[in-house]
Amino acid sequence: MDESRPIFLQVAEQIENDIVDGHVAEDAAIPSINELAAFHRINPATALKGVNRLVEQGLVAKRRGVGMFVVPGARERLIERRRAEFAAEYLRPLIVEAAKLGIGVDELAGMVREERILT
Amino acid sequence: MTAVTTESVRVAESSRRARPHEILRIVRLHTVNPAIFFGVPWLILAGAWAVTMVIALIIQAAAGPLDQAETGFEYSWAVLSPQWYLIVVGVQAVSYTFPFALGFGATRRDYWLGTGLMFVIVSVVNAAAIATLLLVERATNGWGIGAGMFDALWYVGADWGTAFYTTFALQLLVLFIGAGITTVYMRWRMRGMMTVLFGGVALILAIIAFLTFTETWEPLGTWLASIGVVGVFTLVLAKALLWAVAGLLVIRRATPR
Amino acid sequence: MTTTVVRAHGLTKRYGSFTAIDGIDLSIDEGRIYGLLGRNGAGKTTVMQLLTGQIFPNGGELEVFGRQPAEHADVLRRMCFIAEAQRYPEDFTPAHVFRSAPWFFEHWDAEFAERLVADFRLPLKRRIKKLSRGQLSAVGVIVGLASRAPLTFFDEPYLGLDAVARHIFYDRLLEDYAAHPRTVVLSTHLIDEVANLLEHVILIDQGRILLDRDADEVRGSATTVAGARATVDQFVADRPVIGREAIGGLASVTIDGRLDHDERVRAAELGLELAPVSLQQLIVHLTGAELAESTEREVAA
Repeated sequence: MDESRPIFLQVAEQIENDIVDGHVAEDAAIPSINELAAFHRINPATALKGVNRLVEQGLVAKRRGVGMFVVPGARERLIERRRAEFAAEYLRPLIVEAAKLGIGVDELAGMVREERILT
Repeated sequence: MTAVTTESVRVAESSRRARPHEILRIVRLHTVNPAIFFGVPWLILAGAWAVTMVIALIIQAAAGPLDQAETGFEYSWAVLSPQWYLIVVGVQAVSYTFPFALGFGATRRDYWLGTGLMFVIVSVVNAAAIATLLLVERATNGWGIGAGMFDALWYVGADWGTAFYTTFALQLLVLFIGAGITTVYMRWRMRGMMTVLFGGVALILAIIAFLTFTETWEPLGTWLASIGVVGVFTLVLAKALLWAVAGLLVIRRATPR
Repeated sequence: MTTTVVRAHGLTKRYGSFTAIDGIDLSIDEGRIYGLLGRNGAGKTTVMQLLTGQIFPNGGELEVFGRQPAEHADVLRRMCFIAEAQRYPEDFTPAHVFRSAPWFFEHWDAEFAERLVADFRLPLKRRIKKLSRGQLSAVGVIVGLASRAPLTFFDEPYLGLDAVARHIFYDRLLEDYAAHPRTVVLSTHLIDEVANLLEHVILIDQGRILLDRDADEVRGSATTVAGARATVDQFVADRPVIGREAIGGLASVTIDGRLDHDERVRAAELGLELAPVSLQQLIVHLTGAELAESTEREVAA
């Protein structure tokens, strides 16, 4: 757990990651509040807050008496949102650091291409 | 601080605010370690009995006839040996279990009532045992060797009932004195205990001085003789009750460390 | 709707001329885990003793389950207080403690207690006074958990417990709390370890409350900004500074307040390093201590 940010956000993000990665399929159940609390060693109320955030965003939904399930289409919506955030989250810090080191945009693009070949 | 919509839980004021089992559990707590109330006092009594038996055997070997020696035992204090120790029992009972019981959610009042009940039970059991042993001693003619352990002091000539009543009253008083002094310590620490101890000594000296200067020793003696052994021990019992009430008043604001 | 189980207003406790608790206001809601944090001698134990009726306040108002706690059986029977220096009768063994516990706690779960005894590898037949500090703590932890009291206080519950035992405590507490929701108040100065268990944090220092907030609000509420002194000073200019360190031309300043995304980007552009402040570090800053560990003795004995 990252100390700098509220834990419930991190719980929500981890479940989002699992949905994006396909670890939790659409229509499949996500771990229960108590399982999340025990796994992360966090207060159940915090885990609940994290899951509620996903409910508010319409990514998971409660099925009475059974638990929380991933809503169909959740993965696609998450990917869409992350693409929108990609520039701000990853590109800007990259460009700022590159500028500090005197790496121009063209050179940076070349480096990205090269890195992609390697991986 | 939380939202404005908070609502406090009000504990229902039931008629069962103090449940009987909350007093009885204190009695049970005292019996977890039976050595405190029964073990050591009876060990002391057994020791005193053994010493009395040895003395009786020595006298028998030296003087021969039993009947003359037997009267000497009437002034033996052996029968009181465990009684004095009960002051220690009273101290231990409270100092060992009070902080624990309070920590586990007993009220001070319930603790004191439970402890008092335990004292009554212990005094009844011990008094019945001693009164019975007195009769056994008489029936066996001094345990077969003319020894007089129980048939001494005011017990001489006393029936079972008198022996029981006097022992009961004395034990109860001694237990409550021990426990009472401990509650004073729990509430006011060393300073309070010293005040009570020195105050007690001063009070006794004052009474002696008063009786001496007003020359009322003799009338007092006559009066005590007139109320008899049972009357005197009723005074003892009243004193025990006084200590019990005083202890309750003190313990209600006591804070053990 | 939240239900408040403890409400204190202007609560004060004095020992002679020393004021241990200085007119605090406090409320505790049902079904949450609270952290009562602060340095040794801050007044954590005294607060717990007041709330459980062990000691009597000198001033202020206090309601626990709607009543003054001291001498009220119907309030006391809903509470379990495991003191740091919990006293047990002379010659008691842990077995005696667990045998007498159900007389005092109506929700006592003997099976759960047995499982905990096995978890902590606690010798049942050894005299309490011969137990190690860690084993003594384990006795308290077991009573505190298995009693399932609606309002449970743990005062520095894991002194002497090793890392394994402490994690058993955290895991069992969370498990059992999830299955049997109740209000738990945990006092500690080992803050980082329990930070994630807490839902609400009350920070107390010198008998006063410095912070009374949800743990999630506190987390990330402070940030350390490090870099060239002039740049740092400019960046933090109109922010509340709670800590400052400097070496030569470099400065590291802790500010109270969350940085938004744009501010983070600006900090990066200025070449400043941003570091998260853990709950423990935040408390070290707030309680004005240079040292996290203090050797002062708990005054509220």
